[in-house]
Amino acid sequence: MADFRALESVNKRKTFYLLFFMAVLVWSISYLAITYFGGTGAGVIPLAVLITLISVWGSYFASDKLVLKMTRAKVIRYEDNPNLFNVVNEVVIASGLPMPKVAIVNDPAPNAFATGRNPENALIAFTTGLLESMDRDELQGVTAHEMAHVANRDTLVSAIAATTAGIIALISDILMRVLWFGGARNRSHQNQMPIFLAIIPLILAPIAATLLRSAISRRRESLADATAVSFTRNPAGLRSALEVLARDNTVVEARSSAVAHFYIESPLDASAASKLFATHPPIQERIETLRKMEANPLSSN
Amino acid sequence: MDITVIALALILFLVVFAIIQYNKLIRLNIQVDEGFSQIEVQLKRRADLIPNLVETVKGYATQEREVFERVVKARAASTTASTLPAVAAADGALTNALRGLLAVAEAYPDLKSSTNFLQLQEELATTENKVSFARQFYNDTVRSLNTAVKTIPSSLFVGLAKVGEREFYEVDDASIRNAPNVKF
Repeated sequence: MADFRALESVNKRKTFYLLFFMAVLVWSISYLAITYFGGTGAGVIPLAVLITLISVWGSYFASDKLVLKMTRAKVIRYEDNPNLFNVVNEVVIASGLPMPKVAIVNDPAPNAFATGRNPENALIAFTTGLLESMDRDELQGVTAHEMAHVANRDTLVSAIAATTAGIIALISDILMRVLWFGGARNRSHQNQMPIFLAIIPLILAPIAATLLRSAISRRRESLADATAVSFTRNPAGLRSALEVLARDNTVVEARSSAVAHFYIESPLDASAASKLFATHPPIQERIETLRKMEANPLSSN
Repeated sequence: MDITVIALALILFLVVFAIIQYNKLIRLNIQVDEGFSQIEVQLKRRADLIPNLVETVKGYATQEREVFERVVKARAASTTASTLPAVAAADGALTNALRGLLAVAEAYPDLKSSTNFLQLQEELATTENKVSFARQFYNDTVRSLNTAVKTIPSSLFVGLAKVGEREFYEVDDASIRNAPNVKF
């Protein structure tokens, strides 16, 4: 079971289920809004959809430029770091993808991320700390993980997850306000449902959406590890890179939950977020999975 | 009336289906061609690196003539090979010869620490990786094409698309297959 093809299909299937749950959640909250709040609810839905679409998809299309700004990454050319470019080029050949832009973040904490709305506009970035602490094979493993995000279109997947979570959060938020300020008036003449029946789902839905979004992110990380092995056929490289990251205690300076899902290792404090809200699977679990792949002949072939 | 509508819809569906299958086969076949030309590009890069490398090593290790001759010969063979099995065989021989050359370099500390050699070593390391990744990518495209050629429904359109199974790129050397990431 521990071969990358099986792992890839498992993770893809689970992403699909999670996105399906997201859709069900959006549908349920919309249903609740319309049945319980009538005209107000029906007006809120298109408003929430519109606001979220504009904000999320605006940042999706400009993702490469936006993330560069937020992380203060600098795009480099071949002459600036030939060895890094060689490694990226190798993975590009292995993956059959176009050459991405390569950037460096001036930060002592070892980390890396990938972004861009499609493989043609992809960007992968490495922190200076990562380049200093990794050997050639480890760097190749990290590059393969980032190129795997590009190949699996993870900017798109996370934009879809962010859109649905955003719609749910906005609908709940607006309806809570409606309940607070003018809900009673509405309720008296058109609905006999007790008020807590509306409040509880309004509180729970955004939490459920955040949990689903984190679960999707964790699936995509596991998928990227498996795809990375399909590129390099060398699970040991990525495994040893993750071990370097696990040993390291420094945390990325320009940290923000807004860009957390881009990084190879979560840039946020592990203790701050519970396992359910984490954007990345526990690093020890990822190392174990890669170890199992090392024992499998298909992966190291 | 109803029957003609159904029949027309059915025909339309079949036509669209055939076009999709036909295009899939053609696309996979083109990918195999691209994969092979990528291997050739990387092999040429490697061949271009060799004269420089041999000269550098010669400057320090004059008495290792056999090793140089083997590399030069293998390089000449690899530049003239044209069919897939011949290219693969020459590629394997050259990889072995280069490994011999780098093993020789190990015995000369001055050579190992010269900047020129270090730079060549990195170039060769990345090119070896690119060659092996290009092989792997090519074999993956062949695998998808051959699967499509052999499985229903795409196999039904093989004759129409004039596409057939393609050969895998097999290097006749067990150590290469086991270790695609050559470390020097």
